Amino acid sequence: MAFFLGIDVGSGWTKAAICEDNELKSYAIVPSGGDYKKAAKEATNLALKKLNLSVKDIKCTVATGYGATMADFANDVISDISCHAKGISVLFSNVRTVIDIGAQFTRAITIDNDGRIINFIMNEKCAGGSGKFLQVTARILHVNIEELGRLSLESKKPVEFTTACAVFAESEAISRISEGARPEDIVAGIHKAMASKIMTLVTRVGMNPDYAVTGGGGKDIGLVKAIDNELRSKAYIPYEPQITAALGAAIFASSK
Amino acid sequence: MKRYFAGVDIGSTMTKVVIFSDRIEATIIGPTGPEHRKLANKVMEEALNLAQIRFENLSYIIATGYGRINVPFADRQITEITCHAKGLHSLLPTVKTIVDIGGQDSKGIKIKDGKVVSFVMNDKCAAGTGRFIEIMADSIGVPLEDMGIISLTAEKAAPISSTCTVFAEHEIINKLASGETIPNLIAGIHESVATRVSAMVKKLTIEQDVAVTGGGAKNIGLVKVLEKKLGCSIIVPPEPLITGALGASVLAKEIFEKYEREGQMPVRSSCGLQEAKIFS
Repeated sequence: MAFFLGIDVGSGWTKAAICEDNELKSYAIVPSGGDYKKAAKEATNLALKKLNLSVKDIKCTVATGYGATMADFANDVISDISCHAKGISVLFSNVRTVIDIGAQFTRAITIDNDGRIINFIMNEKCAGGSGKFLQVTARILHVNIEELGRLSLESKKPVEFTTACAVFAESEAISRISEGARPEDIVAGIHKAMASKIMTLVTRVGMNPDYAVTGGGGKDIGLVKAIDNELRSKAYIPYEPQITAALGAAIFASSK
Repeated sequence: MKRYFAGVDIGSTMTKVVIFSDRIEATIIGPTGPEHRKLANKVMEEALNLAQIRFENLSYIIATGYGRINVPFADRQITEITCHAKGLHSLLPTVKTIVDIGGQDSKGIKIKDGKVVSFVMNDKCAAGTGRFIEIMADSIGVPLEDMGIISLTAEKAAPISSTCTVFAEHEIINKLASGETIPNLIAGIHESVATRVSAMVKKLTIEQDVAVTGGGAKNIGLVKVLEKKLGCSIIVPPEPLITGALGASVLAKEIFEKYEREGQMPVRSSCGLQEAKIFS
């Protein structure tokens, strides 16, 4: 019996996934906070605890993500793009385009049959299509970020935002609220603005009707629906979109 | 009989009104704010009080700026680019290039005889606009109006690698936490805005004299960095915020007089000093 650990230290959340025979057995998600080292240990311990295992049961660990080097107990570090591609290929073998919506960055990745990267584009210059945009929206509407998706689906008349800039959209949203726009219409409008920004990334990297949405953004059904409308298809959504890269890292660890 | 004209400039952040005869009779600058977007009439009332005239004394009114449609009592709307060019030319006739740094956009305008020759504009991204400086001032806890002076005491501008305002805010908070000085940070903030504004304005062939207007012109630190980036000295008008409203009032006068010369009366708005009911 051999267990393998993948640990993804992201800018917002740290994810741990434990695999056995290329199969996911346990996972944990904790906020990264200000101490990535601590977050990496915490996520690992939580995931181990669910299986009643201890660190010595792990045969190999691969770390990935923004703060990968902080998980200093890992045997190896592999880029998050590669881990994403690997993770999704295990979950959905037919998916060729991955849209990863993280706390700070949004990436579009195209992959081949074997889960290898063909091309990728990362949006690191602009918060417009990233999870940051959702955080800003949740803050001004005083709702939990988890509620945005459900709220968005209730919208009958999404607000048309004239901008994809997170800063300008915030003031535009406040103006619309002061004129009486409904919160659900604001959220649906924000989702639309994000989706059109994400669309430009996907078009540049290469669009494929079989695409998946991963990362925290994949948990927002309103956003996923807006992306589906833009791309005129239906996204594959993993059971837990946030751990895709951690899963990929664990699979890489298994083959070491 | 003395004739009076008005220019109303509804910016994203500030609303400006100028009452003009053959000279500036009154200027008012007040915040636009979300709830004030429909209240251009209030700012106009203040300006009328200051000039000691009544609304009926105004012969022609032009609205400009991003919220120009929210001024029901205006007789005509003209874009802020045209008004800026006109206003600046009436103050500083030698200027050929205007750099306008507003609360929600920035522009470069080439002018000849008070008319627009060409222009470039960024209203898509908050980086490179006044909003960037406003947000950073807020997050480091320095009043916006003190940013310029404080930056002049910097030893070395702290480099800010993020373009996006949202990411740069995090970067600045982290830098502050790891011991970077406030003056160095502010100098870095100005550097970031000046880099983006100058890159945009350089798409026009810059001809001297160059003037800077908008709220950004009130920031001496930003103006200094901009001079370095553009490689020339920059003129700051005495009241850089009112250029657009002034231009609108001067155009109001010119348009009215043109009608008069042709023996016609211009069509006036039928609305009195009332709140806006439609919004842009």
